[in-house]
Formats: sequence, structure tokens, C-alpha cells
Amino acid sequence: MSEHNVDVLVIGGGPGGYTAAIRASQLGLSVGLAERAELGGVCLNWGCIPTKSLLHTADVMREAMTAGELGLEISKPKFNLKKVVKRSRDVAAQLSGGISHLMRKNKIIVFVGDAMFQDKNTVVVGDDTIIADNIIVATGARARNLPHIQADGDRVWDARSAMTPTFMPKELLIIGAGAIGVEFASFYNTLGAKVTLVEVMDQILPAEDSEIADLAKQSFIKQGMEVLTGTGVDEVKVTGKTLTALIGGKNRKFDAAILSVGVSGNIEDLGLEAIGVEVDRGFISVDEYQQTSVDGVYAIGDVAGVPCLAHKASHEGIIAVEGIVGEMPHPLNRERIPGCTYSHPQIASIGLSEVQAGERGEIKVGRFPLLANGKAVAVNDTEGLVKTIFDASTGSLLGAHMIGPGVTEMIQGFAVAIGLETTEAELMETIFPHPTLSEAMHESVLSAFGRTINF
Amino acid sequence: MPKEIYLVKVGMSMTEGMVSEWFVQDGSQVKKGELVYALETEKVNLDVDADYSGTVKHLVEVGVTLEPGDVVGYIFEAGEDIPDTLAGAPAAASAETKREPEATAPVPAVAAAPETVSASVAASDPVVSQDGHIKSSPAARRLAKELGVDYTRVAGSGPGGRIVEADVQAASQRDAVVPAAPAEIATGPEPKASPLAKRLASERGIDIRSIQGTGPGGRIVQSDIENAAVTGVSTGAAAVSGPRAGERIPVKGMRKTIASRMHHSLQESAQLTMDMEVNMDDVVKMRTSLVEEWANEGVKPTYTDIVIKAVAKALRAHPMMNSQFLGSEIALMTEINVGMAVALPEGLIVPVVRNADQLPIKELAKETSRLAIAAREGALGLDDYAGGTFTVTALGMYGVDSFTPIINEPQTGIMGVNRIFDGVEWNGDKPVKTKKMNLSLTWDHRAVDGAPAAEYLVEVRNLLQSPYRLLV
Repeated sequence: MSEHNVDVLVIGGGPGGYTAAIRASQLGLSVGLAERAELGGVCLNWGCIPTKSLLHTADVMREAMTAGELGLEISKPKFNLKKVVKRSRDVAAQLSGGISHLMRKNKIIVFVGDAMFQDKNTVVVGDDTIIADNIIVATGARARNLPHIQADGDRVWDARSAMTPTFMPKELLIIGAGAIGVEFASFYNTLGAKVTLVEVMDQILPAEDSEIADLAKQSFIKQGMEVLTGTGVDEVKVTGKTLTALIGGKNRKFDAAILSVGVSGNIEDLGLEAIGVEVDRGFISVDEYQQTSVDGVYAIGDVAGVPCLAHKASHEGIIAVEGIVGEMPHPLNRERIPGCTYSHPQIASIGLSEVQAGERGEIKVGRFPLLANGKAVAVNDTEGLVKTIFDASTGSLLGAHMIGPGVTEMIQGFAVAIGLETTEAELMETIFPHPTLSEAMHESVLSAFGRTINF
Repeated sequence: MPKEIYLVKVGMSMTEGMVSEWFVQDGSQVKKGELVYALETEKVNLDVDADYSGTVKHLVEVGVTLEPGDVVGYIFEAGEDIPDTLAGAPAAASAETKREPEATAPVPAVAAAPETVSASVAASDPVVSQDGHIKSSPAARRLAKELGVDYTRVAGSGPGGRIVEADVQAASQRDAVVPAAPAEIATGPEPKASPLAKRLASERGIDIRSIQGTGPGGRIVQSDIENAAVTGVSTGAAAVSGPRAGERIPVKGMRKTIASRMHHSLQESAQLTMDMEVNMDDVVKMRTSLVEEWANEGVKPTYTDIVIKAVAKALRAHPMMNSQFLGSEIALMTEINVGMAVALPEGLIVPVVRNADQLPIKELAKETSRLAIAAREGALGLDDYAGGTFTVTALGMYGVDSFTPIINEPQTGIMGVNRIFDGVEWNGDKPVKTKKMNLSLTWDHRAVDGAPAAEYLVEVRNLLQSPYRLLV
């Protein structure tokens, strides 16, 4: 049993936790970090990164399948599922190793094991007792189950199982069409599964602008998926290798199902109740500086509430740490968090949807289809739209929504624009390089003000 | 480090100007707040105070045309090495030599840049000086400032019609004197602000220099402007610049001018205030129909416009209220020019509606609207705030029911306009809901006694109670 004194202890080594730990170290604080599994958290080990590896495999496969249109003669590509999954795992392992290096480099003491609060300044991890002036809870979230449907790792998969498949299902049911469900749908569909995507809300990708979500739905249907919105799965039964699901009153048979109906915060078994940290519907309640109801205890990332995004977690980690050292950080503006979905086509957005913006006042909406973008035509990928939404009276950019190739890499342009509070005037005056897909962003802005050139 | 003396910017339209006279000789001492040089521009003559105490060294000679913000000289503090001549001083002839203040500034320009300038801006009299250039001695201008005399309206008796001290002295005893109104325009470097913040500030008439930025590195962002707009509307201009508890705000510039004029007015005159209730039912009805009738033309008369009209019309019948008490005599003014108090972020300004008694309400409404906008944009012409003979000031929009306005010297009266509220008239024994408003008249008892002042107030009330008389 050894005792450690640190300025800051971070519980959880995901993108929020390890970023907070590094920032605290940069600011001259002594830092400890507790992690029960792998550094890098869900994002790096079981989320963002390994799924991008899988989706990249799917992208290359799709390119190979359509290479004939570009004058290439490639025989129909085949995949080796084991190798596909192994590459995904290797990528995660490599990056997780990188985090260990970053911890050493920043002199952050890593404690391995489950953390438990003794009091608001004391946490026990295995044999170690850590006494800290400030404690940041960054324990993340895990996939939710439904009361009547639970992942079993056999035929009913959670995200973790879905990214380490041992067989390729012929008929795959995906329950929940948020970003995670849609990405798996895209991956499995491209690799040849017959995908049925079911969403209880009226649109897939419920967080996205409805016009964009509708375009995504049409594209998925064109690619061979069955997409059912406003539909619930009432029952799932597994018998041997067959899964029977009751959907809209009809029994349908599948080889497997992926349950992607959101996440809930990891708030249990930490001793939060004992020290009086308030929680609300499965997430820790925090103020705009990530302070919980207990002085000196902070919460960041998924465990501190939606949206459950790695970049939101990292940003909150920095806010919490800078707040601790009295640097007066700027609270996170939830309307400026970009979101990306790496399906085919890709979807990226920031700010308000057209409906949300319209509820606030007069708006101007710009649209530019990639069909009219030279680069998109040249690279044989013209399916997409860039949509921009401005406040009609101030010219403030309220939202940007994109679907199509490369949009996840382009959304940062609008994120910078919104962050700097540009108006349409600065965006119009900006020179976008030609020929790029990003020209569609420029044209969309011009279109909002009736000035589009190429459409 | 020597401190720069800048060619100050007065008015948004000022593009060039010159030092027309150094009040402090090269190498001589100046105390903070003392006049250091006379600025001459196309439109305005202005005496500029020293922001620091020390030894003045001239960088430019009299008559060299410069841009606002250029350095014209330095003030060396005690103990600093003072060079005999300043390197790089442009010769009087080399009018084209421009110096960027940043380039020559030995201290950060931001810290030393003058934010405001304390001075009375003189109004040019179109009759005597079409080009706006008024020859006057510094001593005359200083005396004019002390006496609150608008020296631009004084005939000069010096060489070439130059106004000298004696002219101002004499003028202060004559009826030709009208008050000089303060004008104040903040200058200084544009602060860091987001494009959206700049646009919002300009749309809402907020001086972005008065905003404290809360973005990264003190950058002014959208929310700063929105917060400023909210506090600015409810608590008046002062809140926009965001004074905070514990802060000490130097009394200078516009504040200094207002402080000295208000205090002087209370010290010198025998002013007192009386209130009278007015039945506003007919004014409310009339205004509603006028607003409707003129909507297409974009003219929207305010209650204050209608009060200005009534005040002006009543002055015609009560010339004593349109007078100036000058010690040995009372000068009855020929024109009826009604000043209207406008609150700006920097302080109070009183543009003047000329010949308000003769303007139809529609024209009067257009004029007050033009003046209010120009005042907020810092675009008031010199004639726009000189020559007032009576003032109207409104606090009704804040729910005020009575107050004691301070006379705008050397006028004799000022009318305070209060809130319109639901009052009661008695129809026999029956109470009838009636629109009511109090008028708060402050007048100078030295010039007018209580009875005639009350008669004047009754006249204004009667006009407002039969407002059709204001339309003819």
C-alpha cells in the first residue's frame, strides 16, 4: 500500500482524461492518471480509431469495385475478415502505445485498476492511495442495452463485438441509426452483408439536419440497404445461428444484429454517491467549467453528458484543467462542436440545423451540390451537398451541414469560421483553392446570398 | 520614456489637421490638463490638453498638415534626457512628411494613444466664416471656454478680424452669446474584435472601443456586444463602457465638460423646478393617427417631438422663457432653437432643432430623428449643436414621473418630459381612465419669477391638451 500526493488526479485515460492530464502537466501541476483498461479509452481502442480502419478497408474495396469506371481493370476484390479485423486492432494497439509514451514524457503517474473515491480528495486504485487537490472524472460511457434487447456478444452485438466479427453475416440487422449504427451499416453493406437499418426516430442520424439525413438515407437505399425509420424492434430471439426480430409486427430473420442505441455514462462503482456528486439521468452534472456539485471534483467527456464525442471530451478536459489553475478558460459552446459520420457518403456538420435555426429567427440558407463541383466530377464522386445557414439580419454563420466525399476533413473550415465569428462577407472574400471539393463550401455561402457562380 | 503628443482626431470625417499654435514653447514646462497646442482642421478649431506633466518638445512646427494620430511632439518627464532638437522633425515646409505614430513611438502606441480629448469644440458661424476657419487667439479661446462663450459667434477686433480676449469678454455681456455644446469623439486604435462583433456594434450604434472583450486574448466577440446592448438600453450609456466596482475613472473629456457645465449652472443661476400634470389623451390619439398617416414616408413622430413643438410654440408667447440672464441685462432671443438631450455612451450631448416653433411636426420629427442618429454616429455638424435657446430632456422612457433638469447655460429654461401613465380624470363623481404625463420645468428665477414661469407651463399644457393647435 503506497500513498501518493498529486495536484490533479484524472480518472480515465480516454481522449478527455489523457488530454486533461497532459495539459495539467504542461501547466506545472503534478498529475496522476487512473485507468482500468487500455490508455486511449473507447475512442482509441473500441471506437473512433478502429472503426476508421474498418471503414477505410470498405472505402478501398468500394473504389476497387468501381475502378472500371476510371479505366482500371481490377478483378472483384475479396476480403479476409481476420486480416481486416487484425489491422483495425493493430492500429488501436499502436496508438494506445503512443499514449503510454506521452504519459511518460509528461511525467504523469499512471495507476492501473478501478478507482474508488474515499473522500473528495482521496481515491484508491488497487494498492495505491492517491491524495489530490483536484480530481477529474473522465470515466467515459458504454453502449446502452434496451430493456428488451441485450447484447450477448454472440448474435446480438454491441459496438465492440461489431468491430471484431468472426464471421460476415449475410443478413444483418442494425438497431439504431445514429452515427455508430450508420457507420457499421456502411461497413457491413460494402463488404457484402444485406443490411437492414432500423431507427425509432423519424429520420436516420437524428442529430443531423433533416435534409442531409434524408440524402444519406436515399444513398444508403441506393447502395442496397433497407432503411426503416419511425420503426422499433419489439423483440429479438436467438435460436442457434438464427436471429428472429419482430419489426413492425413482422418476424424477420437475420444472421446477427448490432445494437447501437446510444451510450450511458460510467458512473457506477466509483463512490460518487458517497462524496455527494450529483448525477442526472446517467451522467454527472457539471457547470460550464466542468465542476461537479463537489468542490474540487470535475467531470469531463462522455460521463459529463452528451454529445459523446472525443473532441468534446478533450476540449472539456482542457477547460477543467485551465479552470483549476485559474486561467479563466472559455466555457464550451455546445453549438460549435462539429460532428462527423464516416459512412459512405460521409456526413459532417456544425451548429444549428435549418429547423433549429429557423426557430430562432430569419435565416438564409445556401446549398451547393457536389454535382456542380469540378473536383468531385474528376474524382468520380459527385454525390453530396454543402448546406450553409446564416442569420439573415447579422450574417452570422449559424450552421453548416455537408454530405459527400471528404466532408469530414472539410468541416473544420466552417468550425474555424464560426469560432472566429466570421460573417458571410469574410467567407465570400476568402479565396478557396481550385480545383477542390472545398470550393463547394464557398459556393454554398455565395448561394445563401444569391451569388453562386457555378450552379 | 517621453510621452507622445498626438494630433487628435475630432469627428469621423477628419482626415487632416495642423498645429495652428503651440501654447507651450519648445522646451517649456506643461502641467497635465493644461492646454498644449491648438488644433486646426477644415471644420474645427480645438485646444488640446496635455495628458502628462513635463517638458514639451515640438516635433512639428505650426502649419504643417498632418494626419490624425500623427505625433506632433513629446512630453519628457522630470529626469529624462531632453534632446536639444528632435531627430526626424519635419520642416515646416515638408507638409507631406507623414509619420506613423507606431513607428516613432518609444512606448507602445496602445498605452499612450489618447482615448478621449478634453475640449470644447467650437461651432462655426456660417455667417462670419464660410470656410469654418476662425482666427482667434489662444487666450481668447481659453477665456471663451471658461465663460462658456461660443467664440465662433463673436466678432473679432484684432488684426484681420482675429478674435482676441477683449472680444470674448465683451461677448459674454451681450446677447449674441449662445452656449458651446460639448462634443467628444473617442479615438485610438481599433480593438481586436470578431467580424460579427464589429458588424453588430456598427448596426446597434455601439462604440466598439468602449467594449471589454471576453474572447481569447481580450478579443471582442458577439456576446460582448449583445451584453453591452442589453445593459446600454436599460442603464444608459455609462454601462456600455463597463465601469466596474472598485474602478477609478479619470474625470476628463466629455465627463469633465459635463461636470463643469452642470456644476457651474447650479452655482451661478437661481434655478428651481415645478411639475404639472397634463392630460395626454388627445396627444396619444393624435400621435397614433400621425404615425399611421406618415408610415409610408418613414416618419414617426415621438411624444418628445410633440412636446418640443408645444414648448417652442409656447415660447413665442412667453419670450422671457427664451432669454439669457447676462448679469446687467436679460437678452431676449430672437430665434427659438430647442436643444434635445441625447444620451451617448460617452455622455450627454444636446443637438439643437433650429426654429422649432416654425417647423411643422412632420419636419420636426424628421429633424430630431436625423439629429439623434447623427449624434450616435458622431456625425453631428457643428451647427447641429450650437445656438440652443431652450432645452427639452426626456426620461419618460425609463418610467420617470418627475425630476429636476439642470439648465443648459446660459438658457433660462429646460423642460423635463416624463412617463405617460394611466391616470384618472373625474367626470362628475365618476373616475375616467385617462393618459397622463407630468412636465418638469426648471427655470432661472433670476430672469423669470414663479408666476410667469407657471403661466408658461400652463400654456405648454394647454397646447398639449388641445394638440390640434400644434398642427396649424
